[in-house]
Amino acid sequence: MVVISAVVIGIWAAISLSGFATGMIKSYVNNAVQNIISHIQVHQPEFLEEYDVEYYLPDAPAVEQVIRSEPGVKAVSVRSLSSAMISSAKGARGVRIKGIVPEDEAQVNALNENVKEGEYLSAEGKNAILVSVDLAKKLNVKVRSKVVLTFQGLDGEITAAAFRIVGLFDTGNNPFDEAYVFVRREDLNRLLEPTDGHKYGVAPGALAHEIALMVDDVRSVDAVAARLREKLPGLDVETYRQLSPDLDLYEGQMTSISILYLTIILLALVFGIINTMLMAVLERIKELGMLMAIGMNKFRVFIMIVFETILLGLVAMPIGLLLGYLTISYVQSHGIDLSTYANALEDYGLSAVIYFEIEPVVYWQVAVGVFLTAILASIYPAWKAIKLRPVEALHKI
Amino acid sequence: MKVITTIGVTKVYNPDKIPVRALNGVDLRIEQGEFTAIVGPSGSGKTTLLNVIGGLDRPTSGDVDIGGADIDAMSDNKLIDFRKQHIGFVFQAYNLIPVLTARENVEFVMLLQKRPKQERHDRAEELLRAVGLADKMDKRPSELSGGQQQRVAIARALAPKPDFILADEPTANLDSVSTANLLDIMARLNKEENITFVFSTHDQRVIDRARRVITLVDGKVASDEVRG
Repeated sequence: MVVISAVVIGIWAAISLSGFATGMIKSYVNNAVQNIISHIQVHQPEFLEEYDVEYYLPDAPAVEQVIRSEPGVKAVSVRSLSSAMISSAKGARGVRIKGIVPEDEAQVNALNENVKEGEYLSAEGKNAILVSVDLAKKLNVKVRSKVVLTFQGLDGEITAAAFRIVGLFDTGNNPFDEAYVFVRREDLNRLLEPTDGHKYGVAPGALAHEIALMVDDVRSVDAVAARLREKLPGLDVETYRQLSPDLDLYEGQMTSISILYLTIILLALVFGIINTMLMAVLERIKELGMLMAIGMNKFRVFIMIVFETILLGLVAMPIGLLLGYLTISYVQSHGIDLSTYANALEDYGLSAVIYFEIEPVVYWQVAVGVFLTAILASIYPAWKAIKLRPVEALHKI
Repeated sequence: MKVITTIGVTKVYNPDKIPVRALNGVDLRIEQGEFTAIVGPSGSGKTTLLNVIGGLDRPTSGDVDIGGADIDAMSDNKLIDFRKQHIGFVFQAYNLIPVLTARENVEFVMLLQKRPKQERHDRAEELLRAVGLADKMDKRPSELSGGQQQRVAIARALAPKPDFILADEPTANLDSVSTANLLDIMARLNKEENITFVFSTHDQRVIDRARRVITLVDGKVASDEVRG
């Protein structure tokens, strides 16, 4: 009974922990992909290195057309970008401006849903800006306050313009929130493009630095990216894993983390099983002595103890797997609310509510692991049992 | 003719620390069909002698020959096999397997011998009937009285058709009715099937029924009395 409970709890813990770790990582990755990076981004090769307005996409409308007609692409957002200084009466900070087409951006990420106060950008009004709740606090501004953005135009001239805050957003990723502001692309382009824009080979209003896109199925990201690379020679087409190597690392770690948890728990389980089986052997010393006295040979005694242990493991395994599965399913749909630690989590780009997730293969890993553990853990007690001498065993009380 | 012979058997426990000489040169010959009691005060070496002639324990020196087999020369596993075929044990504390029924306990030894199912079944039934437990075959040990459990133990000891049955204080935990009952059964089996019984005992009721009484004192044979 003790062995069964230990194995059940061990399996349950291994699955839950693995679900927790996978859920955290997926939450981080999804957060980053949905709020910030999107699945694939297309840039001018130099842009990501220099982050300079002059590395715009040549003939952005044509590139956009190619991307939109690519099968498997779900949503596309064309953006103009610029580094800028945002200043209010209270102070100034360096930020990056994303010039977006509001309807398109809403398709690519959850920005519109992340607006906590005020409204999302709309087609109406001039020079509207979205800043994050955090940044607003630091700048001591509110919805409807005015801020001034100062940045360099395509011609190298410094431009400044006043923007009115229409809404405050919160993506749950603090570093991102403090670093980015959103304006309408046409507003930003009007300020970036010099009056004699033709000199730069950009049609008025067509300036763009980045095209972000989401695909229908995240598993097809690499395939879509490869096709786009072929169709868009000379441009950088990068997936979220290439854009943010930490995401790649985390995704890669998911498997190793669950194996690590599993190993630690199984190790603990080995000693638990050894301990209880040893007790079971000692409790039955007389019985074992009798069995050997009446002619059960050592090999059979050994096999008997090993089988008993495996049997206990096999009884416990489905119960543990079921409990683990139920826990994962419940938390997968309901989530664990860690709002108390929301600030700390958001500093790391994690959401306050963690939804457990698990790769189905983990169940197999656990099942096989527990089976091997049971065999391993049975060896010592079984060996102890065959070392018993029947005459001594029989006279133990 | 199956005979147990011991020549100059000694058994010393703890030879390195505080040596205890449990057997101190025992020479014995027990013939087939005997109904023999080994008696003596506590610590005289009765149980040790029984263990040694049953191959449960090895002598420190001397020879033990059971039915022509030199058990000293056998490996542990060989010895276990040998016991399985030739020797039946009855223990003071019955030592039945608690989760098995009376019938299964008896069948178990034959299972170890890989006897066919039907044979196991028939023999278990026959033996349990012989020890007067025809109506208790499907009871577990916990549902049986001490005397009934000891009778199951005897049936179990008989199951593999051993040459010898060695019983270590078989009646120590039994009331007088059960003891008389048990002794009747053993005497009958001894007479009818020519099975050798060797007991170690304190029990006067057992000693009175034995046809040969070997008395041990301090690990030596002090007297060896054969009765009519």
